[in-house]
Amino acid sequence: MKNISFIIALIGLIFISGCEKVVDIDLNTMEPKLVIDAAIKWQKGTLGNLQTIKLSYTNSYYDSQIPTVSGATIFITDSANNVFNFVESNVAGSYVCSNFIPVLNRNYTLTVNYNNSTYTATETLKSVPQIDRIEQVNNVGFTGESTEIKTYYTDNGTTQDYYLFKFKPSFTAIPIYFAQEDISFQGNQIFGLYRSDKLEAGQNFEVTLSGISRQYYNYMRILISISGNNTGGSPFQSPSATVRGNIINTTNEANYPLGYFSLSEQDYRNYIVN
Amino acid sequence: MKLKKITTVLFLLLLIIETSFSQEKVTLSGTVTAANSNESVIGANVVIKSISAYTFTNEYGFYSITIPKGNYKIEISSIGFQTKEINLELNKNIKLNVSIYENSEELQEVIITEKKTTNTQKAEMSVNKLSIATIKKMPVVLGEVDVIKSLLLLPGVTNAGEGASGFNVRGGGADQNLILLDEATIFNSSHVFGFFSVFNPDAIKDLKLYKGGIPSRFGGRASSVLDVYQKDGNSKSFHGNGGIGIVSSRLLLEGPIVKDKGSFIIAGRGSYAHLFLKLANNNNLAYFYDLNTKLNYKLNKDNSLYVSGYFGRDVFKLAGSFTNIYGNATSNLRWNHLFSDKLFSNLSFIYSDYYYGLELDFVGFKYDSGIKNYNLKYDLKNYISEKVKLNYGLNFIYYDFNPGLISPTTPESGINFRQLDKKYAFEPAIYLEAEHKINEKLELMYGLRYSQFYRLGVSTVNLYQNNEAVTFNDQLKIYEKGIPIGTKFYGNNDIIARYDNIEPRFSASYSIDNNQSVKASYNRMTQYLQLVSNTSSPTPLDVWTPSDNYIKPQIADQVALGYFKNFHDDKYSLEVESFYKTVKNRIDYIDGANLIANEALEQVILNGQLRSYGLELMLRKNTGKLNGWVSYSLSRSEQQTPGRTANEIGINNGNWYSSVYDKLHNLAVTGNYNWTDKWSFGANFILQTGQPVTYPNGQYQIQGITIPSFGLRNSNRLPTFHHLDISATYVPKPKKKKNWQSEWVFSIYNVYNRQNAASINFRQNKDTGANEAVRFSIFGIVPAFSYNFKF
Repeated sequence: MKNISFIIALIGLIFISGCEKVVDIDLNTMEPKLVIDAAIKWQKGTLGNLQTIKLSYTNSYYDSQIPTVSGATIFITDSANNVFNFVESNVAGSYVCSNFIPVLNRNYTLTVNYNNSTYTATETLKSVPQIDRIEQVNNVGFTGESTEIKTYYTDNGTTQDYYLFKFKPSFTAIPIYFAQEDISFQGNQIFGLYRSDKLEAGQNFEVTLSGISRQYYNYMRILISISGNNTGGSPFQSPSATVRGNIINTTNEANYPLGYFSLSEQDYRNYIVN
Repeated sequence: MKLKKITTVLFLLLLIIETSFSQEKVTLSGTVTAANSNESVIGANVVIKSISAYTFTNEYGFYSITIPKGNYKIEISSIGFQTKEINLELNKNIKLNVSIYENSEELQEVIITEKKTTNTQKAEMSVNKLSIATIKKMPVVLGEVDVIKSLLLLPGVTNAGEGASGFNVRGGGADQNLILLDEATIFNSSHVFGFFSVFNPDAIKDLKLYKGGIPSRFGGRASSVLDVYQKDGNSKSFHGNGGIGIVSSRLLLEGPIVKDKGSFIIAGRGSYAHLFLKLANNNNLAYFYDLNTKLNYKLNKDNSLYVSGYFGRDVFKLAGSFTNIYGNATSNLRWNHLFSDKLFSNLSFIYSDYYYGLELDFVGFKYDSGIKNYNLKYDLKNYISEKVKLNYGLNFIYYDFNPGLISPTTPESGINFRQLDKKYAFEPAIYLEAEHKINEKLELMYGLRYSQFYRLGVSTVNLYQNNEAVTFNDQLKIYEKGIPIGTKFYGNNDIIARYDNIEPRFSASYSIDNNQSVKASYNRMTQYLQLVSNTSSPTPLDVWTPSDNYIKPQIADQVALGYFKNFHDDKYSLEVESFYKTVKNRIDYIDGANLIANEALEQVILNGQLRSYGLELMLRKNTGKLNGWVSYSLSRSEQQTPGRTANEIGINNGNWYSSVYDKLHNLAVTGNYNWTDKWSFGANFILQTGQPVTYPNGQYQIQGITIPSFGLRNSNRLPTFHHLDISATYVPKPKKKKNWQSEWVFSIYNVYNRQNAASINFRQNKDTGANEAVRFSIFGIVPAFSYNFKF
């Protein structure tokens, strides 16, 4: 459905003879907040024992540096009473675990101790179907110069599922995310679409499909919409919002952290553009 | 019951009035029409100065006034027409049909008899009338005369900026305006996402915008009523007019069916198919068109029939990608009947619908949605005496909502067929209202509207724990969609929810002297339909949804006070008004709400409230070579969605915040200068406080992308919005009043090329990954010309 709003924005843009210009806008900066980026990913066919969690602070909007957070204690426990410790690596703010045991549909609890505060979150490891195939269509779109890449997979018809696509073509610096809900294609083969006029033969196109929880789906939808790259400057924007994830500061509830603790099974392809 | 009591009191009051005026009186009644076309004149003044009596023609040009026997001089006047005086010996009931001449027919260079446009005596306030002649003189973007955009020059009216659809009245939402075209509801007033309005200026006669003191005969929207009338057509002789512009071309034909008895009008407008798409070699299409028709026939002196219709569509087709079609259609049948020279009635049957369709070829996906409504209205105007006029009537509306039909377009498509639950509703209402002259100084208008709303089956309704469709996650402090604990099935026409409301309306005018008055008004309005939209201006895709067991009707209360003055022999008029308005049950959305094809909207909606208040000024120069006005509004519009319990945070931490329609300052200047009979010039200047927006107050990184963080909602502003537009009209042969007549209109929109921000987006540069603010502006300087003709 996200697609539709995107199309609407697109149609709107077509008729707008006006222009985009990068401008200087003075912005305020809020008090720094702790950000916990804890996405556990289990690539199909791997052990999934190597996992990373990143801690950082928020920063003023235009700053190019993201302050990292060192000296935290991080561990994950599962419903089978396993404890997985995450230890800070040589990369500041990056905490690594090498003995993680992923089990589909198992519940996991994250604990972060930092600066006399304790942060916790609980989530379930979600499964994902495999990527069936990737299709490429050339010369489509508004100018007829775009290339389309469709990544197909088959939805499980018996469950309510949520998916997250990550597209990373080699020509951009940043990945594009796209969240899907199976409500309109329950049990069918469906695809995630990426389209650009900058795709060229020989480029790498990396695609990752993750199974996600309903709550993470809601979170990512807001995140994607405010990250600004999927709307491309539409006059039909919905209001911006602060996004709260699923991590709670149990020491001081009001001083909540940003970020999310998620666990997903993933399928990955590295596709070479024809 | 409360209502019954009030009505009884009202009737008793009127009975007393009625009996106390039973002297020897006679009734003068008839119609006022334009001499050259027999087109009825709406709102013409019929004045008998010697006894300070006056009345106005109604929407069908009918008037009636009951006065003592005697010899009188009757003065008939209207904006844009020459005043006519008739001496009459009135010793019995007389039917007097008057035809009056347009100003332009005699003297172009000096408009001498433009009547005062501000009526200080009448209890009506917060109303702006615009004649199509005035609208046509205003410079506009791309040369397209635009009824909706012209409203933005009035005090208290703003919109979300260039290319944005709809308009905001006194800090209200665009969905809170009742837009009527020949009484039929128009659900989307824009073509091309807001660039142009759906009204073909050639087919329009008159419009009236009620911002407050709304008469009881109107209901169903919280903020305002825009009442637009189509022309009836010339019943004297066959004529046509039209124009060729750079966006669209227009043609209108009108003429008698039976001379002086019946006429037709048909008008079409279409844009050029590839206008905005400067692309070759593919099958992309983008155009809009609309068609207006009307037939009227006078059966006899007491009965007339009107049939009118509108059909408009926008079509966008991008080969291999998508097809998008949307638009309104209306048709109505009206029957005017005079029971007596004091009792006028009109019966209308109206159908209107709005359709939105989208096909995505690359997904094999088709989406159809829309709203249909069937409306039966019976309105009576009883001209009891010179002092008292009674308006009463009833209104039944049946709605059929299609929130969406999703279907696959190809056998290979992965999309499943899905009909979102259709919704049905019924909205009956009755009203009674008196226009009452208490004495020479004081005039009152008071009335009541009693409205009901039934949300009807067939429908399967979700049930929730504690009836809470939205749940609050106390740990994470976020609102989440509730999970239904069951469903309840309602059969055909079963009542799912029912509301009833009494809507009092009141306004009063006290004349200080002949030229100045103070006025006050109060109105309550109930709005049972909600436009589901969380963008700053409506989009064609927004769906209307009825109030139901979870979504409550909006209830607006407004008080207004005003001072009105005509001075310098009515050359100038001044209107000063202040207002305070509150709206209960204004819907707000939980963060990340998905509104498109959402079958359980109740899961993302929270009830909030809206308040707005302000001061409006309008100074007009009505006559002379140079005429026009300056309008200024100082106002606030704020909304609040508090938590439902003490634990909940609400939206924006439960604080009041600026609504997206909050424009502290709004200045508009419009002028027209008739230089010679060949040349006239127009200019507009608009300045508005920038729209409230939320800028980021920080950033962080999640999964390799940068996310802006936001503080309190709408606490920042886009840069101030302003532009100056000019136009020149050249009439090559001004003396020519017959056969082919033509004019050229040259215009420049945004003369000094102001890059007004439609939005400012914060995003990560795709190449460098660095954060940047991107201003998006729509129109720079836009020159245009058009050629208009009539015959």
